[in-house]
Amino acid sequence: MDKLTQTAWLIPLFPLAAFLILTALGRSYRRVGVLIGIVGSFAAFLFSLFIVVDRLGANQVDYNYSIEWLAIGDYSLRIGFEITNLTTLMLAVVTLVSLLVQLYSAGYMKDDERITVFYGYVSLFTFSMLGLVLSDNLLSFYIFWELVGVCSFLLIGFWFTLPKARAAAKKAFIVTRVGDVGLLLAILLLFWYMPEHALDFTTIQSVFDGQSGAITNGITTLIALLLFVGAIGKSGQFPLHVWLPDAMEGPTPISALIHAATMVAAGVFLIARTFDIFQDSAAAMETIAYVGGFTAIFAATIALAQNDIKRILAYSTVSQLGYMMMALGLGSLTGGIFHLFTHAFFKALLFLGAGSIIHAVHTQNINEMGGLRSKMSVTTWTFAIGALALIGIPPFSGFWSKDLILSAAWETNPLLFGAGLAAAFLTALYMSRLFFLVFMGKPSAASMDAQESRAVMTLPLIVLAVLAAVSGFVETPWNGWLGTWLTDGSEEAHASGAVIAYSVAVGLLGIYIGWLAYGKRSISFAAWHERLPWLVRLLERGYYNDELYSAVIIKPLKLLGNVLLAFDTYVIGGIVRIAGAAVSTAGRAAARLQNGQAQTYSLAAAIGLVVLVAAIVGRRFLP
Amino acid sequence: MSILNDIPILSFILFSPLLGIVVLLALPHNRSNWMKKTVVVATLIPLVLSFWLYSEYDKQQDGSVFDEQQSWADIPLNKETQAAVPSEFKFTLQYELGVDGLSLPLLLLTTIVAAMASLAVIQVKKRWKAFFIWFLLLEIGILGVFLARDLFLFFILFEITLIAMYFLIGIWGYFNRERAANQFLIYNGIGSAIMLIAFVILVNTAGFRMDQIGDQVSFLYSGSYSNIFHNLADSGAWVNLAPEQMGTVNPFLMTHTMQWTLFILLLVAFGIKLPIFPFHTWMLKVHTEAPTAIVMVHSGLLLKMGAYGLLRFGLLLFPEQARAFAIPLAALGVINLLYGALLALRQQEFKLVLAYSSISHMGIVLLGLAAMNEIGLQGAVFQLVSHGLVSALLFLVVGSIYERTGTTDLRELGGLARSMPFVSGVLLTAGLASLGLPGLSGFIGEFLSLLGLFESQRWLSVAAAVGIILTAVYMLRAVLKITFGLQREDYTALKDARLIEAIPMIVLLAFIVLLGCFPSVLTDTTQLGIDGLLDQLLATRAGG
Repeated sequence: MDKLTQTAWLIPLFPLAAFLILTALGRSYRRVGVLIGIVGSFAAFLFSLFIVVDRLGANQVDYNYSIEWLAIGDYSLRIGFEITNLTTLMLAVVTLVSLLVQLYSAGYMKDDERITVFYGYVSLFTFSMLGLVLSDNLLSFYIFWELVGVCSFLLIGFWFTLPKARAAAKKAFIVTRVGDVGLLLAILLLFWYMPEHALDFTTIQSVFDGQSGAITNGITTLIALLLFVGAIGKSGQFPLHVWLPDAMEGPTPISALIHAATMVAAGVFLIARTFDIFQDSAAAMETIAYVGGFTAIFAATIALAQNDIKRILAYSTVSQLGYMMMALGLGSLTGGIFHLFTHAFFKALLFLGAGSIIHAVHTQNINEMGGLRSKMSVTTWTFAIGALALIGIPPFSGFWSKDLILSAAWETNPLLFGAGLAAAFLTALYMSRLFFLVFMGKPSAASMDAQESRAVMTLPLIVLAVLAAVSGFVETPWNGWLGTWLTDGSEEAHASGAVIAYSVAVGLLGIYIGWLAYGKRSISFAAWHERLPWLVRLLERGYYNDELYSAVIIKPLKLLGNVLLAFDTYVIGGIVRIAGAAVSTAGRAAARLQNGQAQTYSLAAAIGLVVLVAAIVGRRFLP
Repeated sequence: MSILNDIPILSFILFSPLLGIVVLLALPHNRSNWMKKTVVVATLIPLVLSFWLYSEYDKQQDGSVFDEQQSWADIPLNKETQAAVPSEFKFTLQYELGVDGLSLPLLLLTTIVAAMASLAVIQVKKRWKAFFIWFLLLEIGILGVFLARDLFLFFILFEITLIAMYFLIGIWGYFNRERAANQFLIYNGIGSAIMLIAFVILVNTAGFRMDQIGDQVSFLYSGSYSNIFHNLADSGAWVNLAPEQMGTVNPFLMTHTMQWTLFILLLVAFGIKLPIFPFHTWMLKVHTEAPTAIVMVHSGLLLKMGAYGLLRFGLLLFPEQARAFAIPLAALGVINLLYGALLALRQQEFKLVLAYSSISHMGIVLLGLAAMNEIGLQGAVFQLVSHGLVSALLFLVVGSIYERTGTTDLRELGGLARSMPFVSGVLLTAGLASLGLPGLSGFIGEFLSLLGLFESQRWLSVAAAVGIILTAVYMLRAVLKITFGLQREDYTALKDARLIEAIPMIVLLAFIVLLGCFPSVLTDTTQLGIDGLLDQLLATRAGG
């Protein structure tokens, strides 16, 4: 085992060091602060790159190392890290996107007075995310899972004076916490059911993979579903997706890093990491597949009716995460992770592109944009590549990963294949609507003075565009390299001409309709607005999910709180008041005997002593 | 062997604040600066000593080498012994101190929080001398409660904290201070009375002991904890006494009913202090009316005395009853947790949010205790220490905010992060620790308690896990209301924390992070105390 792998635990420490230095420095050293953040993530990236090169070569042996963190009697809770091909892939994605986003932020956040705080938070996030990726057991995974959650919370609420940012941050934390409780309960179950109370992924794999029967089917399904509840919260799956669109209140680079490329994919990663548990439970697998498939369509329809560029992309993320879940539910680990991989690049690209646009036009409403093609050529071209990758047009990356997922559905589940295809069509439609409204046509008032962003912002766009274009070639119908690398060749790469034909056809159809409506403007959706205003409202409001939760959960909870408050004040408080009044009446009677204060207290002590002595002396009269 | 074994270190720790009181008495009334320095130094001495003790303790594997025992007063009893040999009957008041894995972490917590609270006394505006003297007496009382190994000594020291608190609230509190002080005294007085009844019964039964020196046999009743513990643990012990010396007298008649009565009495007595629902109302007023330094001590330490008493006297002395009562105890814990959280959600006064939050967090302690296994018990003790640090920190911040804005009403506060970034950052971190964020101490106590409880009472554990969501809801609501959002115009000129305020905040935060990242520094010590308790519980399990 080589030194490089053994010291991989150092990787998260670079951004952690950056965070600590930035926190200690305070807000004064702006330029140095930015540099510290970038250097921290660059070091982590470089180290990860070495590991990737190492793993691509001859070294394929998984390595893990753990130490005892907390020993209680015979029980032992451990923390440690593990290098597998899957974690290596995630290391590369996280450190690369983090580095690019930090570069980009040097331009995007340039004028913010709290830029060093921003870099501190981003560094803390990078540390936590890398810790999550490297964790070799579920407990340390959970610890970092919570930490990325809190970083997400801090960054959504970064512009803390805005009431909307405050509300969004709080919502994100609380909604994901609902999911976290699921994960926590899964850990409790595993702890008490696993042999030796082991929580590490290696043991989990061997216990569940071997069909050893150590854990009954019912408990296995329960554990799997609880783990999935955690993933639902983090990865914005229906019905806990409501926090993700609101999370767009945070700075746009954060949306790219946390709410598109890395953290929201943690749920997918969790399922992939504990895939052996899921494979033992057909019920859990079906649940995942259907929740994922439903979320993919559900979120895509909402994206159609949004006007805020970031919210469109946010719903798109929810939808794409649904794809990944569906792939995992269909048993295609490679499909889920492959889509996670390509999505990280093209969605980060789209968000950073959106940030570049917002930076130039100072609005997020796509109806107020237009004609940016002529003003911002780098942003336009890179955004186009990202959009095509998302829609799934060959040869861009999203095509290959989506194809793999659809192929998995094609063979086993026609219903989910249809869902995937429908979602692909909707994706093409909302992305072409977005693209044509923003970049084509005549420049709007807001776009008139728009200028291309500076090189520090466009450079990350170009890098991501290249990756969005070519990263799909690691897994194609005729070259299943990624699948072989991830799963030791146990999964067959699918190749079906029909699937490719279908998926390209719906993609092109979506773009064509989008072009007709928003580019050429020969057809109009205005009729929809007139005839079915309720439908448009329904989509705009995201099927009134927030309102539903408010009515079903929040208001009853507040009501219960008020009822209990009244109970506390009048019933319990009332009894206490009556008792108190009785005591003070008695006290007043006693006070007539004594009028000095100090004596009153010594009286209490004396009475106590008398009781005591009387009791002891009195005993001798007892038999 | 360490030098610690040769000196009465426990007495030194217990009475070192007295030094401060002596100096304070000698100082003239107008020297407030000198007084402040004195009180800080007087709290630093036990802090240093207890750290020293803690570092030595780990190597000892057993705290009994530090035990101290002195006979205090004998009261002869003229009881017919019917014994053939010369003998005497007496009642002995003892001065007995000791530490073990359960009390040592709480002792350390006391010295830390007291020292940090002593730095917060700058906000006191009148009658410094008396305040500081009562404050140091309060610390002696709390230290004594965790150190005492004699029931009456325990009771006396417990009462000292009541009296000191009564004056500290009544004289230096806010607007309704006198009512708050009276309610505090009456309610806790009832609790103490119940505790006294239980103690008297205990001393008169299990407190029996026979000492034989040469021919002289003495039969004595005392409050010695270890004696009571051994007598109760081995209920046939008295039979082993030579019958010819004893005659037919059964020195301690402990029927099943009596054991249950005692257990319930102790549960109520310490449940009031903890507080267990529905005995919680008294502490609401204390939280709102007492001055900052005193609420820090109250919320951080005094509530812990209730849990400690429950552990020390309820669980350890009556393991059989405790086991049988595990499910109601866990149910009480869940009620505390959810009830406190739901009410915290509806408060507009930040201090009341924190008061109800304490109720909620003490529910987790009950859950850990009710688990009746080592993980749960570890969780309960950890939660005690963690909550002590976190709530002390939260009230420290509350004091700083109140000093500047004159209010702690959530409706009037907002956006403080702009003018007071440091204080707001500390408040947010403390809030995150309170809601159980991993990496901070609150998570460990919560996690271990739930993990332990899950083994025996799965559904209650699930209900408690749901309560954790509510914790996040009320904590974030309150903290974000204060720090985030738009700032009121008259708050723009507010100054951030002074150095004297920042120091205790940083120290407490450091401990919270330390325990969150390296929990074994605490659990390894606690383990030594848990083992004995666990043996008790397991013995009753094996015996049916």
